Amino acid sequence: MTSLIGQKFVRGDGLEKVTGQARYTADLAFTGLLHAKFLYAERARARIVDIDITAARAMRGVHAVVTQADAPMVRYGMFVKDRTLFAHEVVRFEGEIVAAVAAETPEQAEAACAAIRVVYEDLDPILDVEEALKSSSPLVHPDWKSYQTQNGVERGPNDCGHMTSVKGDVEAGFAEADHILTETYQSDMAHAVPIEPHAVVAQWQGDKVTIWSTSQVPFPARAGVAETLQIPQSNVRLVVPHLGGGFGGKCDFHFEAHVALLARQARRPVRLVFTRREEFVATDKVRHASKIELTTGVKADGTITARRARILLNSGAYCGDALFTTEIGLMMVAGPYRVPNLHAEVHTVYTNRTPAGSVRAPGGPETCWAVEQHTDELARRVGLDPLEFRRRNLVQAGDTGQTGQRFISSSAKECLERAAEIAGWPGKDFAPGEALGIAVGWWFSLPASSGAYVKLNADGTGTIVTGAQENGSGSVMGLATLAAEELGMRPDQFSIVYQDTESGPFDLGSAGSQTTFNNGRAVIEAAGEVRTKLLRKAAEMLEAAEEDLELVDGAARVRGVPSKALPIASVAAASQTSSLLIGSGSGNPPSLPEHDLSGCGGRLGYSAFLAPSFFCHIARVRVDEETGTVSVPEVTAVHEFGRILNPLGAQGQVEGGVIQSIGMAVLEGSQYDGGRQLNPGLLGYKLITAADAPRVNVELLEDPVDHGGPHGAKAVGEPPVVGTAAAIGNAVAAAAGTRVRALPMTAERVWTALHEQEGELA
Amino acid sequence: MSRYFAPTTAAEAAALLAEHGGARVVAGGTDLVVAARGGKHRMPEVLIAIHGATDLASLVENEDGVRLGALTSHAWIERSPLIGSHWSALADASALVGSPATRANGTLGGNLMNASPAMDTGAPLLVFEADVELLSLRGTRTVPVADLLAGAGRTTAEPDELLTSVRLPDLPPATGSAYVRLEHRRAMEIAVVGAAALVTLGDDGRVADCRVALSAAAPTCVRAREAEDLLRGLRPDGASFRDAAALATGAVQPITDVRASARYRRAMISVVVSRALAVAAARAAGTDIAVPANRNLPTVTAGSTG
Repeated sequence: MTSLIGQKFVRGDGLEKVTGQARYTADLAFTGLLHAKFLYAERARARIVDIDITAARAMRGVHAVVTQADAPMVRYGMFVKDRTLFAHEVVRFEGEIVAAVAAETPEQAEAACAAIRVVYEDLDPILDVEEALKSSSPLVHPDWKSYQTQNGVERGPNDCGHMTSVKGDVEAGFAEADHILTETYQSDMAHAVPIEPHAVVAQWQGDKVTIWSTSQVPFPARAGVAETLQIPQSNVRLVVPHLGGGFGGKCDFHFEAHVALLARQARRPVRLVFTRREEFVATDKVRHASKIELTTGVKADGTITARRARILLNSGAYCGDALFTTEIGLMMVAGPYRVPNLHAEVHTVYTNRTPAGSVRAPGGPETCWAVEQHTDELARRVGLDPLEFRRRNLVQAGDTGQTGQRFISSSAKECLERAAEIAGWPGKDFAPGEALGIAVGWWFSLPASSGAYVKLNADGTGTIVTGAQENGSGSVMGLATLAAEELGMRPDQFSIVYQDTESGPFDLGSAGSQTTFNNGRAVIEAAGEVRTKLLRKAAEMLEAAEEDLELVDGAARVRGVPSKALPIASVAAASQTSSLLIGSGSGNPPSLPEHDLSGCGGRLGYSAFLAPSFFCHIARVRVDEETGTVSVPEVTAVHEFGRILNPLGAQGQVEGGVIQSIGMAVLEGSQYDGGRQLNPGLLGYKLITAADAPRVNVELLEDPVDHGGPHGAKAVGEPPVVGTAAAIGNAVAAAAGTRVRALPMTAERVWTALHEQEGELA
Repeated sequence: MSRYFAPTTAAEAAALLAEHGGARVVAGGTDLVVAARGGKHRMPEVLIAIHGATDLASLVENEDGVRLGALTSHAWIERSPLIGSHWSALADASALVGSPATRANGTLGGNLMNASPAMDTGAPLLVFEADVELLSLRGTRTVPVADLLAGAGRTTAEPDELLTSVRLPDLPPATGSAYVRLEHRRAMEIAVVGAAALVTLGDDGRVADCRVALSAAAPTCVRAREAEDLLRGLRPDGASFRDAAALATGAVQPITDVRASARYRRAMISVVVSRALAVAAARAAGTDIAVPANRNLPTVTAGSTG
């Protein structure tokens, strides 16, 4: 029998999406639907003197106006409970929600928001991370000490989470070095920018509410609603229709409770749909602006002896799920290199800017970019080719990582060599201004509990009921392959019930590249239970021994006697009068590899990387020296993902990730005037377009792990975005002969670096 | 509540404009509607949608040049062999507007009347010394494009006047033109700065005549006459173009915004003017440089701007 694993599989939801038949949250129709609008602070930091909603409430078509006075006084937050649903006494960033309105038309709701009178006493905003950390700085949260936190979170006055990672003796390491290089890199705030804006619909029946939401994480979102409205979780049903992308921006709990509150007061269903401006200003999950300081010692032969690192993350007004970024960023500072002595610290700094949090590979691209620029500078310092420098320092099987985890096997070097071969490193026949740049990195797989049910239907089809969330990557769609493999069926014979907290068992949601890795194991476990029951029933019907049976091509048959077989449909039908063919699984998560945290501090959520995967990207860029414009005609991306379950899906993730990253590398960044974003729209905040997309050479390597995902698979969703900006940065430096130490590496920044080098702008 | 009219002739549209003060004309809808949805301005109370006025989509060729109806789309201009070979700078510009969808809907008349300083067709029309025809119940008048553009988002057309056509005057032999802009991406973009150039070569191979205009460098698209004066009589080479470009930069006061600082814009004006001049001169000499010039710059000008 041919295995389905590793075969190209076209996802089941593709056709309805590309033909416009798929329905998203904003497409849903309800009788008596009202429209929600939020009133935002539109200022970075102020005390609220007075809010008067009288006029707004009296306006035509208005059914509800709510403020924090209408909500339970609950502070919530994944790591630090620092936030209320609506502004309470103060506003801390421009997109802080002060009030919400539900009215019969969006225009009426907007007019009512404009009629709410708020008197503010403006305060000087806290914007700079270094200033915020000084003891003289005013506080974004004067009451920070009284906030509840998750276990292990260590904080300071404007610092919602700091951590240290220590290995060996960093001073001794520097003493061994022939060269010591210190550099600082900075990245701007960047956004997730899913094509579908946030949308929420809430409808009450009695004391139960159903919420349709564009959430990547239905179960955590449900918990957030229950916590902030002080109602039982069982009174909240959260359903996600088709989701138009998320990239982390729709993780965590967002606006569901605001809309539920409006719907309760209005006694009508209420819908919120964000404008694109709100997507930039009011969403509370952007990629942190960061400042990364690196000092590394190397011997003359290129051997790294020690590294000191300090990362400051501008986390904005609230902590949200930002500590994922802090924890992962900390684990990226050594890169996939042997760094025997390390001292790294990271601070998550409160400011009066848009709250930051998880965006695809939180902490990954910006840290990898800084570390890999630094790596090329180290190579230059010792006079080695960047490829050779990496060869000498990459981790190999038997080495220990920055927290002492021992690598069982390491494909880091294989990725490097293969990428160099495909891209033709160091390159030749360059057009003017062209060069190659290289970057390597690593990423982890996130172990978590996750549940699924599988059942077989009387017509021989199957149904998977899962708690997992499809964010557009195709990972939930891919669950059908895993169930089909267990049961000798075809993937297209399975329907999937998903994205509904009332039907599926618990799952963390589409976050941390964890869907296939964890829910895949759950589905295999559930299908395995069905398989056992199916074989038992079939054996009874065929009058054969269970162990002589196999499940092939939709039939149970006696091995070696193809004529003695029963279609699965008839077994499933027969089971309806006896014991049903149903199963459940919860995919018990593998444990982290052994590691050593002595000397480390803070909440280290990613203290070791489970089933680590490696990659190497090589970018070809063209720098227009007169304008500083960078174009990227070609990127080679070699990734090792353990076991490739579906090459089509994995390739799509890599291609998409590389293309998304080019925007982050050369275009995407929020510009600020004080506490206000200057480019909250798709013209001012530039993603790259199809016309800018490079040729992407993808190669997928395999290195199956025992303690990993289904069939030895590793996480796929996030690693593809980690290395591209780093490779582009190194290529730009090679082409321009000067390095840009700010992300994005915009044309103007490249031009400025080129001309400063020539002394023209002194 | 907005009122919406869809006249089928230019005359009918002009009558509606006279009747409804404050009415706005919409053709492709790629500027007015998008800006209103983006909160830049409210949707006007009265919309006069002229896409069905077929007499505004005409093309007339005569010995004076060519007259393009206001509804002529960027997509048509981009693909027209006539425009591409004679008035190449306009084809260069239309080919860069927005996306394929924007170019299919967006019109030449709309681009002009929207009067963005960063519009792509403005600078080419200035170097061609094009004029437009404005229609109202009071009759028809002809206005040079240079006099039509009054400021950012403002024209000298009266509120009841409808732009019906744009005339591109015929050009002397041995003339070439080009439009080049600095852009950060290759679609859905507006010019950071842009320049159009027109070069006529004399029998001696020197520049007999030349015109230069800039976009996104001042409150309107503007001519850079000092640069033009300098170049007349010179050899069409890189050194001459750079000197002319330096003078063009002096003609304007660029601003700092989210797309670029004034300092960078100033330096880039010089780059795009040099490049536009180089392409225009090459085309004047008979070299085939495909539309849009921005994506097909000769290697002597070092790389592309895109």
